[in-house]
Amino acid sequence: MDLLSNSNVANFLSNYIYYIGAFGLVSIGLCIILIKRNLIKVIIGLSILDTGVNLFLISVGYISKGTAPIFSKPGLDSARMVDPVPQALVLTAIVIGVAVLALALSLAIRLYHHYGTLNLRKIKEQRW
Amino acid sequence: MRSIVSIILIAIIALGITLALIVIPFGEPKTEVGKYYIDKGIEDTGAVNIVTSVVLNYRGFDTLGEVTILFIAAIGIGAVLATQKKRKVEKKVTPASLILYTGCRFLFPLILLFGIYIFIHGHLSPGGGFQGGAIIASAFVLIYMSCQGRRLPVTLTKAIESLGGLVFVIVGLIGLGLGGYFLLNFLPEGVPNTLFSAGIIPIIYIAIGFKVGLELTGIIDNLIEKS
Amino acid sequence: MVNPVLLIVVPLGLAFALPLFGLISKKIIKFIPVVAFIFNLVISSLLIPRVLNHPIVISIGGFPPPFCINLVAGPVGILFSTLIALAGLLVSIYALSYIKEGPEEKYHILYLLLLTGATGVVLTGDIFNLFVFFEIVCISSYSLVAYMGDKAGTESAVKYLIQGSVGSSFLLIGIGLLYGLFGTLNMADIAQNITSISPLSIFVPLMLIITGLGVEAAIFPLNSWLPDAHSSAPSSISAVLSGIAIEVGLYAVIRVIFTIFGGSSNIFMFLLFLGILTLLIGEMSAFSQKNVKRMLAYSSIGQIGLIMFAFSIATPNGVAGGLFQLVSHTLSKALLFLAVGYMIRRTGSMDISTFEGMGKKMPFTSLAFTIGAFSIAGLPPFIGFSSKFLIIKSALEKQDVLFTVLVGLVLLGTVIEGAYFFRVVQVLYFKGENVNLERKEAPVTALIPIFILVALIIGIGVYPRLITNILKSGASELLNKVEYIRSVIG
Repeated sequence: MDLLSNSNVANFLSNYIYYIGAFGLVSIGLCIILIKRNLIKVIIGLSILDTGVNLFLISVGYISKGTAPIFSKPGLDSARMVDPVPQALVLTAIVIGVAVLALALSLAIRLYHHYGTLNLRKIKEQRW
Repeated sequence: MRSIVSIILIAIIALGITLALIVIPFGEPKTEVGKYYIDKGIEDTGAVNIVTSVVLNYRGFDTLGEVTILFIAAIGIGAVLATQKKRKVEKKVTPASLILYTGCRFLFPLILLFGIYIFIHGHLSPGGGFQGGAIIASAFVLIYMSCQGRRLPVTLTKAIESLGGLVFVIVGLIGLGLGGYFLLNFLPEGVPNTLFSAGIIPIIYIAIGFKVGLELTGIIDNLIEKS
Repeated sequence: MVNPVLLIVVPLGLAFALPLFGLISKKIIKFIPVVAFIFNLVISSLLIPRVLNHPIVISIGGFPPPFCINLVAGPVGILFSTLIALAGLLVSIYALSYIKEGPEEKYHILYLLLLTGATGVVLTGDIFNLFVFFEIVCISSYSLVAYMGDKAGTESAVKYLIQGSVGSSFLLIGIGLLYGLFGTLNMADIAQNITSISPLSIFVPLMLIITGLGVEAAIFPLNSWLPDAHSSAPSSISAVLSGIAIEVGLYAVIRVIFTIFGGSSNIFMFLLFLGILTLLIGEMSAFSQKNVKRMLAYSSIGQIGLIMFAFSIATPNGVAGGLFQLVSHTLSKALLFLAVGYMIRRTGSMDISTFEGMGKKMPFTSLAFTIGAFSIAGLPPFIGFSSKFLIIKSALEKQDVLFTVLVGLVLLGTVIEGAYFFRVVQVLYFKGENVNLERKEAPVTALIPIFILVALIIGIGVYPRLITNILKSGASELLNKVEYIRSVIG
């Protein structure tokens, strides 16, 4: 079974490991948000979700055996440089993630002050 | 019950995304847009760090939006926690040990200098305003941890935050006035790989660096004081 | 010619400068949003005649289009930005005396930035820029919902934040997939190359993007945050959230479907199905509400369903009807929330039964509420009637059995709407009297915007020719993808 031989699996993994890792993180983050009850754990899940998405965005722009797109010496070979656009996108996305996280934590502080608990099942003041 | 539904949902999403990803091979040659930026980056902007020229010159509007979002977060946290009472001063806090106290005070100016180095050299080496700002904020957080009770003056931080944002907008408007395009690079590009090159990029990064550093410090200050 | 970039940049600069103004004097802070929106309104109105035939394309930074971010100020964009500036101006005049407690300076900064973000969403031509401005709208609205700091507000804000952030992450995954497939982030560029990839691979980014944008646009399964958030925010913010934020979300969905993904009949069927579902569920839930702001929030969900139905008709009249309904919903819903704001402040509770006899105690405000209610339900001399009539006429023109059946469902929704609004009007005028209140009208700064909204609702309702020009240009811009691509890339 040539398909499952060690080197083929290793090849496949080394090519797609970033995608698998990124979507693993996204799935873990989504699971946490959907299942857990404590607000702080849900916020941590949100942060893991953001990390997964950012990892996915960067791995879209990768060139095999590429280097950083910085011309520190004039005349560097530009054919092997990685795509700079996803890096700019991720810079913005990380800052947006931090902003939302900070706002969520301040809301958690306020919520604890009002209800005395962070259990989302118990914070259901608004009726249908 | 809820766990089962969630796992099914996530399995469907993962399957869908895998279907889409089969078409995007990993490590393939660059796109047309990426190639243009790498080839023409130095001529158009003068910055040797292509990521910086993409962030501030080609996609500068996104960076303006990002700066705005951090500003909104800082103001929003201030608004949400405004009616929360401040932590009472008599609360029992253990003072920092001698090692922490001395070490932090010794490291503070060095870390601050390192942060400023990172954003001033944003167009020459990996780095930039946001990264440098985060390092500056970590220096201030070290001081909060070691010298309990010292805080940055509020009026000064508010003024510098506003000025940072205003500098970005005004530089863009000057570009609009001089050349007809918002965020046009109107200063001379200079010799690549020197400190005074790349037109408006170092100016904007200095403004962003200080602004982000003080904003993150302010956010942490708010969260510590009012919890 | 005025540059449309100023529509976004000047309010942004004023918002950054607002704390500096606050350091000088606390009294002028409230007037700065008013100044900013007067400026925006003037510039948008000046741009309307210029964009009717050909959109203005501005590149930021001076580089040619696929290599930079560009703004596309077409008829749809300028229509929306005029609407945003108008609504923003009126609600900021209302807020001059409505917002008295809490950190006022922060309220005005967040309010200004929310509407700047909304203007950015409608004017941009680049999909990642759409994401950034969309996040500006979302994050300001999370903070503004929690502005009052009470129990209900904070809880609604947390629910809204978590659902909104998950939506934004999905949107970002979708954008990443689009970049990986096409190699560019410019909407016109992606639209040009969309047919070169098989439809199965396009399906997943499309679904992810619609899910991400749909959380803010209040499409059916994703709108459980809406009743809580809109009812526990202060009334001026509810007016802006219901009138502008969800409409801007829906605009983003429409722009993605019509311009980027072309518009195949499958997508339109899906949109139609979701629209009718949203409409019926929104109206039926509104019928059973006793809290007046929750009722108005569910009514917003219903209206969004109706607008989605209108857009899925996909003929020039249908799309024009959808745009018209968007305008009418903004004006009417803002009027309703502004009127209800002071009524709640007088009686101290949001329950409908406490408004008995308000017709005599606050006559002008109750009359305004009644006019807004009749306009949303679709009664004749008001703008709601003209827009609904256009939608139903264009659905019937399609000569399709399915559409005729669905028109029946839309009319059923309208009947339910009429029922619950009439119930409130009945309580206002015909039920007993709450003897504890004396007769005192809302302050002048609240009556000016209410009066202007009433005048617009009646004026455009009686004489719809005032805006049919720009609606028709907008419809042709959305339906005609090739023109859009040509004007950006050439």
